[in-house]
Amino acid sequence: MNVNNVINGQDIKKKFRGFELNIPSLQVPKGFATALIGENGAGKTTLLNILAGIRLDYKGNLTFFDEAHTLEDETTKDQIGYTGPGNYYLPNWTVSQVKTISELLFENFSAKRFESLCEELGISINDFNMKNKKVIALSDGMRMKLMLAGVLARDTKLLILDEPASPLDPLMRDKLCELIRDYLDRGNGETSVFFSTHNISDMENVTDYAIIMEHGTIVEQGFVEDLKEKYILVKGEKEHIQAAKKILYSCSSNQYGFEGICLASKLDQLAGMDVSVETPSLSQISIAVMKANTKLQMKFA
Amino acid sequence: MKILQSSGVPIYQQIADQLQADILAGKIKQGEYLPSIRGLAKDLKISVITTMKAYEQLEALGLVTAVQGKGFYVNAQDSEMMKEQHLRKVETALLEAIQAADIAGMPDSELIETLTALLSMKEN
Repeated sequence: MNVNNVINGQDIKKKFRGFELNIPSLQVPKGFATALIGENGAGKTTLLNILAGIRLDYKGNLTFFDEAHTLEDETTKDQIGYTGPGNYYLPNWTVSQVKTISELLFENFSAKRFESLCEELGISINDFNMKNKKVIALSDGMRMKLMLAGVLARDTKLLILDEPASPLDPLMRDKLCELIRDYLDRGNGETSVFFSTHNISDMENVTDYAIIMEHGTIVEQGFVEDLKEKYILVKGEKEHIQAAKKILYSCSSNQYGFEGICLASKLDQLAGMDVSVETPSLSQISIAVMKANTKLQMKFA
Repeated sequence: MKILQSSGVPIYQQIADQLQADILAGKIKQGEYLPSIRGLAKDLKISVITTMKAYEQLEALGLVTAVQGKGFYVNAQDSEMMKEQHLRKVETALLEAIQAADIAGMPDSELIETLTALLSMKEN
Protein backbone atom coordinates (compact mmCIF):
# COMPACT_ATOMS: atom_id res chain seq x y z
CA MET A 1 0.00 0.00 0.00
CA ASN A 2 1.34 3.37 -1.05
CA VAL A 3 0.76 5.90 1.70
CA ASN A 4 1.92 9.49 2.03
CA ASN A 5 2.27 11.19 5.38
CA VAL A 6 0.41 14.21 6.67
CA ILE A 7 2.91 14.60 9.52
CA ASN A 8 6.59 13.69 9.43
CA GLY A 9 8.78 14.17 12.48
CA GLN A 10 12.37 13.38 13.38
CA ASP A 11 14.00 13.43 16.80
CA ILE A 12 11.20 15.26 18.55
CA LYS A 13 12.41 15.95 22.08
CA LYS A 14 11.13 17.82 25.09
CA LYS A 15 12.51 17.50 28.61
CA PHE A 16 10.58 18.16 31.78
CA ARG A 17 11.69 17.39 35.30
CA GLY A 18 11.13 13.65 35.64
CA PHE A 19 9.78 13.19 32.13
CA GLU A 20 11.25 13.18 28.69
CA LEU A 21 9.49 13.08 25.35
CA ASN A 22 11.80 11.47 22.82
CA ILE A 23 10.40 10.36 19.48
CA PRO A 24 13.09 9.43 16.94
CA SER A 25 10.62 9.15 14.10
CA LEU A 26 6.94 10.04 13.71
CA GLN A 27 4.75 9.37 10.68
CA VAL A 28 1.03 10.02 10.55
CA PRO A 29 -0.54 8.69 7.33
CA LYS A 30 -2.45 11.05 5.03
CA GLY A 31 -6.11 10.36 4.31
CA PHE A 32 -6.74 8.33 7.46
CA ALA A 33 -7.83 8.60 11.08
CA THR A 34 -4.94 7.91 13.46
CA ALA A 35 -5.43 7.22 17.16
CA LEU A 36 -2.82 8.14 19.75
CA ILE A 37 -3.09 5.72 22.65
CA GLY A 38 -1.20 5.54 25.94
CA GLU A 39 -1.54 5.73 29.69
CA ASN A 40 -1.79 8.98 31.65
CA GLY A 41 1.52 10.77 31.54
CA ALA A 42 2.79 8.92 28.46
CA GLY A 43 3.28 12.24 26.66
CA LYS A 44 0.26 12.28 24.35
CA THR A 45 -0.83 15.83 25.10
CA THR A 46 2.75 17.13 24.99
CA LEU A 47 3.15 15.62 21.52
CA LEU A 48 -0.20 16.93 20.26
CA ASN A 49 0.54 20.40 21.62
CA ILE A 50 3.82 20.41 19.72
CA LEU A 51 2.07 19.30 16.53
CA ALA A 52 -0.68 21.90 16.91
CA GLY A 53 1.87 24.67 17.38
CA ILE A 54 0.78 25.37 20.95
CA ARG A 55 4.08 24.31 22.47
CA LEU A 56 7.10 25.81 20.79
CA ASP A 57 9.89 24.85 23.22
CA TYR A 58 10.92 21.54 21.69
CA LYS A 59 13.74 20.17 19.61
CA GLY A 60 13.40 18.29 16.37
CA ASN A 61 12.10 18.53 12.83
CA LEU A 62 8.47 18.61 11.84
CA THR A 63 6.94 18.80 8.40
CA PHE A 64 3.30 18.68 7.32
CA PHE A 65 1.40 17.71 4.18
CA ASP A 66 3.85 15.51 2.24
CA GLU A 67 6.89 17.17 3.83
CA ALA A 68 6.08 20.35 1.94
CA HIS A 69 5.35 22.66 4.88
CA THR A 70 6.56 23.50 8.38
CA LEU A 71 4.53 25.08 11.20
CA GLU A 72 6.25 28.40 10.49
CA ASP A 73 4.68 28.61 7.03
CA GLU A 74 1.70 30.95 7.21
CA THR A 75 -0.65 28.59 5.42
CA THR A 76 0.09 25.52 7.56
CA LYS A 77 -1.82 26.56 10.67
CA ASP A 78 -4.81 27.61 8.57
CA GLN A 79 -5.03 24.03 7.39
CA ILE A 80 -4.91 22.52 10.89
CA GLY A 81 -7.86 22.37 13.26
CA TYR A 82 -7.29 21.68 16.96
CA THR A 83 -9.44 20.86 19.96
CA GLY A 84 -8.17 20.03 23.41
CA PRO A 85 -9.13 19.56 27.03
CA GLY A 86 -8.39 23.17 28.00
CA ASN A 87 -10.52 26.24 27.43
CA TYR A 88 -10.06 27.01 23.79
CA TYR A 89 -12.62 29.78 23.80
CA LEU A 90 -12.42 32.55 26.38
CA PRO A 91 -14.71 31.77 29.34
CA ASN A 92 -16.74 34.96 29.01
CA TRP A 93 -17.65 34.57 25.36
CA THR A 94 -21.23 33.61 24.71
CA VAL A 95 -22.09 30.84 22.32
CA SER A 96 -23.16 33.28 19.63
CA GLN A 97 -19.97 35.32 20.15
CA VAL A 98 -17.98 32.16 19.48
CA LYS A 99 -19.54 32.15 16.03
CA THR A 100 -18.92 35.85 15.35
CA ILE A 101 -15.34 35.77 16.62
CA SER A 102 -14.50 32.58 14.74
CA GLU A 103 -15.71 34.26 11.56
CA LEU A 104 -13.30 37.12 12.20
CA LEU A 105 -10.39 34.90 13.19
CA PHE A 106 -10.53 32.32 10.43
CA GLU A 107 -10.99 33.02 6.76
CA ASN A 108 -11.97 29.43 6.12
CA PHE A 109 -14.72 29.42 8.80
CA SER A 110 -18.28 28.96 7.57
CA ALA A 111 -20.93 30.35 9.95
CA LYS A 112 -23.60 28.44 8.11
CA ARG A 113 -21.77 25.17 8.53
CA PHE A 114 -21.11 26.01 12.20
CA GLU A 115 -24.84 26.47 12.79
CA SER A 116 -25.78 23.22 11.10
CA LEU A 117 -23.03 21.36 13.04
CA CYS A 118 -24.32 22.84 16.31
CA GLU A 119 -27.82 21.59 15.52
CA GLU A 120 -26.41 18.19 14.58
CA LEU A 121 -24.53 18.02 17.89
CA GLY A 122 -27.54 19.05 19.93
CA ILE A 123 -26.57 22.67 20.66
CA SER A 124 -29.66 24.74 19.89
CA ILE A 125 -27.75 27.78 18.70
CA ASN A 126 -30.85 29.75 17.75
CA ASP A 127 -32.45 29.27 21.15
CA PHE A 128 -32.32 32.52 23.13
CA ASN A 129 -30.93 30.94 26.32
CA MET A 130 -28.29 28.94 24.51
CA LYS A 131 -27.20 31.86 22.33
CA ASN A 132 -26.41 33.98 25.35
CA LYS A 133 -24.91 31.27 27.49
CA LYS A 134 -21.28 31.87 28.41
CA VAL A 135 -18.67 29.28 27.55
CA ILE A 136 -17.78 28.96 31.24
CA ALA A 137 -21.37 27.96 32.06
CA LEU A 138 -21.37 25.07 29.62
CA SER A 139 -20.86 21.48 30.77
CA ASP A 140 -17.66 19.71 29.69
CA GLY A 141 -19.59 17.76 27.07
CA MET A 142 -21.27 20.89 25.66
CA ARG A 143 -17.96 22.75 25.56
CA MET A 144 -16.36 19.89 23.62
CA LYS A 145 -19.27 19.80 21.19
CA LEU A 146 -18.97 23.56 20.67
CA MET A 147 -15.23 23.19 19.97
CA LEU A 148 -15.86 20.34 17.54
CA ALA A 149 -18.48 22.38 15.70
CA GLY A 150 -16.04 25.30 15.60
CA VAL A 151 -13.18 23.23 14.22
CA LEU A 152 -15.28 21.28 11.73
CA ALA A 153 -16.87 24.46 10.39
CA ARG A 154 -13.44 25.44 9.07
CA ASP A 155 -12.10 24.18 5.79
CA THR A 156 -8.99 22.31 6.93
CA LYS A 157 -6.78 19.43 5.88
CA LEU A 158 -5.77 18.07 9.27
CA LEU A 159 -7.57 17.78 12.59
CA ILE A 160 -5.59 17.34 15.80
CA LEU A 161 -8.04 16.35 18.54
CA ASP A 162 -6.81 15.86 22.10
CA GLU A 163 -9.22 13.50 23.89
CA PRO A 164 -12.32 14.47 21.94
CA ALA A 165 -14.37 11.49 23.15
CA SER A 166 -13.74 11.75 26.90
CA PRO A 167 -16.40 14.30 27.87
CA LEU A 168 -18.98 13.00 25.39
CA ASP A 169 -21.87 10.61 26.09
CA PRO A 170 -22.12 7.35 24.09
CA LEU A 171 -24.57 8.86 21.60
CA MET A 172 -22.26 11.78 20.93
CA ARG A 173 -19.20 9.52 20.66
CA ASP A 174 -21.04 7.74 17.88
CA LYS A 175 -21.76 11.12 16.32
CA LEU A 176 -18.09 12.07 16.65
CA CYS A 177 -17.10 8.91 14.73
CA GLU A 178 -19.62 9.81 12.06
CA LEU A 179 -18.26 13.35 11.79
CA ILE A 180 -14.68 12.04 11.48
CA ARG A 181 -15.67 9.61 8.72
CA ASP A 182 -17.55 12.39 6.96
CA TYR A 183 -14.49 14.65 7.20
CA LEU A 184 -12.29 11.94 5.65
CA ASP A 185 -14.86 11.22 2.95
CA ARG A 186 -15.23 14.87 1.95
CA GLY A 187 -11.44 15.23 1.71
CA ASN A 188 -11.22 12.17 -0.52
CA GLY A 189 -7.78 11.15 0.69
CA GLU A 190 -6.44 14.67 1.27
CA THR A 191 -7.78 15.15 4.81
CA SER A 192 -6.49 13.39 7.94
CA VAL A 193 -7.39 13.17 11.62
CA PHE A 194 -4.98 12.60 14.51
CA PHE A 195 -6.70 12.14 17.88
CA SER A 196 -5.71 10.88 21.31
CA THR A 197 -8.10 8.71 23.26
CA HIS A 198 -8.61 6.45 26.25
CA ASN A 199 -11.96 5.30 24.87
CA ILE A 200 -10.44 2.85 22.43
CA SER A 201 -13.48 0.61 21.97
CA ASP A 202 -15.78 3.55 21.24
CA MET A 203 -13.36 4.87 18.64
CA GLU A 204 -12.17 1.56 17.18
CA ASN A 205 -14.52 1.62 14.21
CA VAL A 206 -13.12 4.92 13.06
CA THR A 207 -9.45 4.17 13.70
CA ASP A 208 -7.29 3.31 10.69
CA TYR A 209 -3.84 3.67 12.18
CA ALA A 210 -2.80 3.43 15.83
CA ILE A 211 0.23 4.88 17.59
CA ILE A 212 0.80 3.59 21.13
CA MET A 213 3.00 5.65 23.45
CA GLU A 214 4.63 4.79 26.76
CA HIS A 215 6.83 7.07 28.88
CA GLY A 216 7.55 9.60 26.19
CA THR A 217 8.17 7.39 23.22
CA ILE A 218 6.32 5.32 20.62
CA VAL A 219 6.27 1.62 21.51
CA GLU A 220 4.01 0.28 18.77
CA GLN A 221 2.31 1.61 15.66
CA GLY A 222 0.64 0.39 12.51
CA PHE A 223 -2.52 0.09 10.49
CA VAL A 224 -5.17 -1.54 12.66
CA GLU A 225 -5.76 -4.37 10.18
CA ASP A 226 -2.02 -5.16 10.21
CA LEU A 227 -1.83 -5.05 14.02
CA LYS A 228 -4.73 -7.51 14.11
CA GLU A 229 -2.62 -9.92 12.10
CA LYS A 230 0.52 -9.33 14.14
CA TYR A 231 -1.15 -9.99 17.50
CA ILE A 232 -3.44 -12.93 18.18
CA LEU A 233 -5.76 -13.47 21.13
CA VAL A 234 -5.19 -16.91 22.61
CA LYS A 235 -7.19 -18.82 25.22
CA GLY A 236 -6.18 -22.12 26.78
CA GLU A 237 -6.60 -24.59 29.63
CA LYS A 238 -4.93 -24.25 33.01
CA GLU A 239 -2.46 -27.15 32.63
CA HIS A 240 -0.56 -25.14 30.01
CA ILE A 241 -0.36 -21.84 31.92
CA GLN A 242 3.31 -22.05 32.83
CA ALA A 243 4.50 -23.12 29.38
CA ALA A 244 2.28 -20.56 27.66
CA LYS A 245 3.48 -17.70 29.86
CA LYS A 246 7.00 -18.11 28.44
CA ILE A 247 5.72 -17.75 24.88
CA LEU A 248 2.91 -15.20 25.13
CA TYR A 249 3.48 -11.47 24.73
CA SER A 250 1.08 -10.78 27.57
CA CYS A 251 -0.87 -13.26 29.63
CA SER A 252 -3.38 -13.36 32.45
CA SER A 253 -4.56 -16.51 34.14
CA ASN A 254 -7.02 -17.75 36.74
CA GLN A 255 -7.92 -21.14 38.16
CA TYR A 256 -9.76 -22.18 35.00
CA GLY A 257 -7.26 -21.26 32.33
CA PHE A 258 -5.31 -18.48 30.67
CA GLU A 259 -5.90 -15.77 28.14
CA GLY A 260 -3.31 -13.65 26.42
CA ILE A 261 -1.94 -11.97 23.37
CA CYS A 262 0.55 -13.93 21.28
CA LEU A 263 2.71 -12.59 18.49
CA ALA A 264 1.56 -14.30 15.28
CA SER A 265 5.21 -15.17 14.59
CA LYS A 266 5.31 -17.21 17.80
CA LEU A 267 1.99 -18.97 17.41
CA ASP A 268 3.69 -22.18 16.18
CA GLN A 269 5.31 -22.60 19.59
CA LEU A 270 1.89 -23.08 21.16
CA ALA A 271 1.31 -26.22 19.09
CA GLY A 272 0.05 -29.11 21.18
CA MET A 273 -1.46 -26.87 23.84
CA ASP A 274 -5.01 -27.06 22.49
CA VAL A 275 -5.58 -23.33 22.49
CA SER A 276 -8.35 -21.41 20.76
CA VAL A 277 -7.40 -18.32 18.81
CA GLU A 278 -9.32 -15.15 18.03
CA THR A 279 -8.66 -11.83 16.37
CA PRO A 280 -8.13 -9.30 19.16
CA SER A 281 -9.81 -5.90 19.25
CA LEU A 282 -7.67 -2.78 19.07
CA SER A 283 -8.49 -2.24 22.71
CA GLN A 284 -7.10 -5.68 23.65
CA ILE A 285 -3.95 -5.11 21.58
CA SER A 286 -3.41 -1.69 23.13
CA ILE A 287 -3.77 -2.99 26.67
CA ALA A 288 -1.31 -5.83 25.97
CA VAL A 289 1.24 -3.43 24.50
CA MET A 290 0.76 -0.98 27.36
CA LYS A 291 1.11 -3.74 29.97
CA ALA A 292 4.30 -4.99 28.33
CA ASN A 293 5.84 -1.53 28.35
CA THR A 294 4.49 0.13 31.48
CA LYS A 295 6.61 1.05 34.44
CA LEU A 296 3.70 0.47 36.78
CA GLN A 297 3.78 -2.73 38.78
CA MET A 298 0.79 -4.70 37.61
CA LYS A 299 -0.30 -6.75 40.59
CA PHE A 300 -3.25 -8.33 38.81
CA ALA A 301 -1.38 -9.40 35.68
CA MET B 1 -24.75 -4.90 2.58
CA LYS B 2 -24.89 -6.45 6.03
CA ILE B 3 -21.93 -6.30 8.39
CA LEU B 4 -21.87 -8.41 11.54
CA GLN B 5 -19.57 -7.11 14.25
CA SER B 6 -19.04 -10.35 16.15
CA SER B 7 -19.58 -13.17 13.66
CA GLY B 8 -15.95 -14.31 13.87
CA VAL B 9 -15.45 -13.44 10.19
CA PRO B 10 -13.27 -10.32 9.88
CA ILE B 11 -15.24 -7.31 8.66
CA TYR B 12 -13.01 -6.76 5.63
CA GLN B 13 -13.69 -10.38 4.64
CA GLN B 14 -17.45 -9.89 4.96
CA ILE B 15 -17.28 -6.87 2.66
CA ALA B 16 -15.03 -8.63 0.15
CA ASP B 17 -17.30 -11.70 0.10
CA GLN B 18 -20.46 -9.70 -0.44
CA LEU B 19 -18.96 -7.53 -3.17
CA GLN B 20 -17.49 -10.62 -4.81
CA ALA B 21 -20.93 -12.24 -4.83
CA ASP B 22 -22.44 -9.08 -6.32
CA ILE B 23 -19.79 -8.92 -9.02
CA LEU B 24 -20.07 -12.62 -9.90
CA ALA B 25 -23.86 -12.35 -9.97
CA GLY B 26 -23.54 -9.42 -12.35
CA LYS B 27 -25.17 -6.95 -9.94
CA ILE B 28 -22.14 -4.70 -10.29
CA LYS B 29 -21.31 -4.69 -13.97
CA GLN B 30 -18.05 -4.65 -15.85
CA GLY B 31 -16.53 -1.18 -16.01
CA GLU B 32 -18.62 0.13 -13.11
CA TYR B 33 -16.80 1.68 -10.17
CA LEU B 34 -17.11 0.29 -6.66
CA PRO B 35 -18.27 2.85 -4.05
CA SER B 36 -15.37 5.07 -2.93
CA ILE B 37 -13.35 3.65 -0.06
CA ARG B 38 -14.12 6.51 2.30
CA GLY B 39 -17.75 6.73 1.19
CA LEU B 40 -18.32 3.05 1.90
CA ALA B 41 -16.56 3.33 5.27
CA LYS B 42 -18.87 6.20 6.15
CA ASP B 43 -22.01 4.34 5.08
CA LEU B 44 -21.06 1.11 6.84
CA LYS B 45 -19.73 2.93 9.94
CA ILE B 46 -16.36 1.22 9.79
CA SER B 47 -12.80 2.43 9.38
CA VAL B 48 -11.28 3.40 6.05
CA ILE B 49 -8.48 0.85 6.35
CA THR B 50 -11.01 -1.99 6.66
CA THR B 51 -12.74 -1.13 3.37
CA MET B 52 -9.35 -0.60 1.78
CA LYS B 53 -8.27 -4.08 2.79
CA ALA B 54 -11.48 -5.57 1.35
CA TYR B 55 -10.89 -3.79 -1.96
CA GLU B 56 -7.26 -4.92 -2.05
CA GLN B 57 -8.44 -8.49 -1.64
CA LEU B 58 -10.86 -8.12 -4.57
CA GLU B 59 -7.98 -6.69 -6.58
CA ALA B 60 -5.78 -9.67 -5.71
CA LEU B 61 -8.56 -11.97 -6.93
CA GLY B 62 -8.49 -10.13 -10.24
CA LEU B 63 -12.09 -8.96 -9.91
CA VAL B 64 -11.35 -5.24 -9.84
CA THR B 65 -8.58 -2.88 -10.91
CA ALA B 66 -7.39 0.16 -8.96
CA VAL B 67 -6.97 3.43 -10.80
CA GLN B 68 -4.90 6.06 -9.01
CA GLY B 69 -7.15 8.88 -7.87
CA LYS B 70 -10.32 7.37 -9.32
CA GLY B 71 -11.06 4.23 -7.35
CA PHE B 72 -11.69 0.62 -8.21
CA TYR B 73 -13.56 -0.53 -11.32
CA VAL B 74 -14.92 -4.00 -12.06
CA ASN B 75 -12.97 -6.04 -14.57
CA ALA B 76 -14.44 -7.97 -17.44
CA GLN B 77 -15.34 -11.30 -15.88
CA ASP B 78 -14.17 -14.16 -17.98
CA SER B 79 -16.71 -16.94 -17.72
CA GLU B 80 -14.10 -19.65 -17.07
CA MET B 81 -12.82 -17.73 -14.08
CA MET B 82 -16.33 -17.14 -12.80
CA LYS B 83 -17.05 -20.86 -13.02
CA GLU B 84 -13.84 -21.54 -11.17
CA GLN B 85 -14.83 -19.10 -8.41
CA HIS B 86 -18.24 -20.73 -8.04
CA LEU B 87 -16.69 -24.17 -8.03
CA ARG B 88 -14.37 -23.15 -5.22
CA LYS B 89 -17.36 -21.90 -3.25
CA VAL B 90 -19.19 -25.21 -3.70
CA GLU B 91 -16.10 -27.12 -2.60
CA THR B 92 -15.68 -25.06 0.54
CA ALA B 93 -19.31 -25.51 1.50
CA LEU B 94 -19.18 -29.26 0.88
CA LEU B 95 -15.97 -29.59 2.88
CA GLU B 96 -17.69 -27.86 5.75
CA ALA B 97 -20.58 -30.33 5.47
CA ILE B 98 -18.16 -33.27 5.46
CA GLN B 99 -16.49 -31.97 8.62
CA ALA B 100 -19.85 -31.50 10.32
CA ALA B 101 -20.88 -35.04 9.34
CA ASP B 102 -17.60 -36.34 10.74
CA ILE B 103 -18.21 -34.66 14.10
CA ALA B 104 -21.74 -36.09 14.19
CA GLY B 105 -20.40 -39.56 13.36
CA MET B 106 -22.50 -39.68 10.21
CA PRO B 107 -21.33 -42.37 7.74
CA ASP B 108 -20.45 -41.27 4.18
CA SER B 109 -23.40 -43.12 2.71
CA GLU B 110 -25.81 -41.16 4.87
CA LEU B 111 -24.15 -37.89 3.87
CA ILE B 112 -24.58 -38.72 0.20
CA GLU B 113 -28.20 -39.71 0.84
CA THR B 114 -28.82 -36.35 2.50
CA LEU B 115 -27.34 -34.51 -0.46
CA THR B 116 -29.43 -36.54 -2.90
CA ALA B 117 -32.54 -35.89 -0.84
CA LEU B 118 -31.84 -32.16 -0.78
CA LEU B 119 -31.22 -32.13 -4.52
CA SER B 120 -34.49 -33.93 -5.24
CA MET B 121 -36.32 -31.44 -3.02
CA LYS B 122 -34.90 -28.61 -5.13
CA GLU B 123 -36.11 -30.29 -8.33
CA ASN B 124 -39.64 -30.50 -7.04
